[in-house]
Amino acid sequence: MRLTIFNGSPRGKSSNTKLLMDQFTNGFCESAVSEVETVYLNRTKELPEQVDLFKKTEHVILAFPLYTDAMPGLVKAFIEELEPFCGRSGNPSIGFVVQSGFPEPNHSRFVERYLEKLSRRLGCRYQGTVVRGGVEGIRIQPNWMTRKLFKNFYELGKKYNEEKGFDREVMRKLAPREQLSKGRLLFFRLLNKAGKGNFYWDMQLKQNKAYEKRFDKPYQSTD
Amino acid sequence: MKILILNGNPDPNNTLFEEYLADLTEEMHALDNEVRQIKLRDLNIRYCTGCWGCWVKTPGKCVFPDDSQEVCREYVHTDFVLMASPVKMGFTTALLKKTQDRLIRILHPYVDLVENECHHHRRYDEYPKNGLLLERPQNIDDEDIQIMKDMYSRFSLNFKTELTFFGLTAQDVKEVARAIDNI
Repeated sequence: MRLTIFNGSPRGKSSNTKLLMDQFTNGFCESAVSEVETVYLNRTKELPEQVDLFKKTEHVILAFPLYTDAMPGLVKAFIEELEPFCGRSGNPSIGFVVQSGFPEPNHSRFVERYLEKLSRRLGCRYQGTVVRGGVEGIRIQPNWMTRKLFKNFYELGKKYNEEKGFDREVMRKLAPREQLSKGRLLFFRLLNKAGKGNFYWDMQLKQNKAYEKRFDKPYQSTD
Repeated sequence: MKILILNGNPDPNNTLFEEYLADLTEEMHALDNEVRQIKLRDLNIRYCTGCWGCWVKTPGKCVFPDDSQEVCREYVHTDFVLMASPVKMGFTTALLKKTQDRLIRILHPYVDLVENECHHHRRYDEYPKNGLLLERPQNIDDEDIQIMKDMYSRFSLNFKTELTFFGLTAQDVKEVARAIDNI
């Protein structure tokens, strides 16, 4: 089978989306009979060739981070280019991976409905949408913290090849509950009380000597 | 009331849409509102690169100074923002969406719990109410409309406000102006 992954992260090759999809690809490539190619939508000059790839491939995965509760602008620009293919026979099947910085999968469920409808609009067989929260920060997390997440994406890729689609059980493991559990809510509140809830951002603000300016309102004055 | 229209129509030849917004502006003026329309297609607005410079390097400002600065400044100084867009492939245009992405700097990276769900902390004391006005092509059904309404309600929730108006350009322009004026 021939799979094309469209990475819709504005960060392209240095994206968290790539870290996840690399694991997926590793799992997918365990079986040698398949071909997989990844293209990066942030290389906007390559858009015509990327649209052409959509036309030729058998299976598509469009993976992106949630930006202001929807797809990033550049992903929407790509989707608009697909308009001529609506209802075309021979369209690839399509699946989606949506990851968010917010920990709850719930944030991504709204765009998920759009994506499911988009598959129908295009006339592509819909493979499903894999949703994963809490992804911001995985680049700096130690191995033990990302091991399970990466293993699940590896499994997702491996089974994708065998089952020609996303494995529902692995999807569930990646989004075990829609909202934070009572335990995590308590942990979050305690962390905030101790002033440590935002350490990820504070650390970067301090590194950049911008910590004192963190509450700046540069557009407040009208002049 | 101070009203900002973000015109997300990329196509200057779509004169029906442009005329509708011009008429709407006039009607809302007549109801004593201060209205400013920004035609996003005339501005130089690049895609957000997701660098988080606006959160951790130059708090509240984007490290790429382009016309999105003007949009952000207007946005935080208005009472109501009408996001106006033709519908393309079941959603608002990439032109409007890329502009929304660049608004992230007016929020703070810190996270608060809002009804037990994580949302961004406010950077400014006040945020304008939101409205959505769509030009509906024939291939759009009620389900598409509901999906967009729900997605924009989520956007508003994250941007410390509410989606208080939804309309279609097929509606009478006077009626739409009155509905917005009543918010």
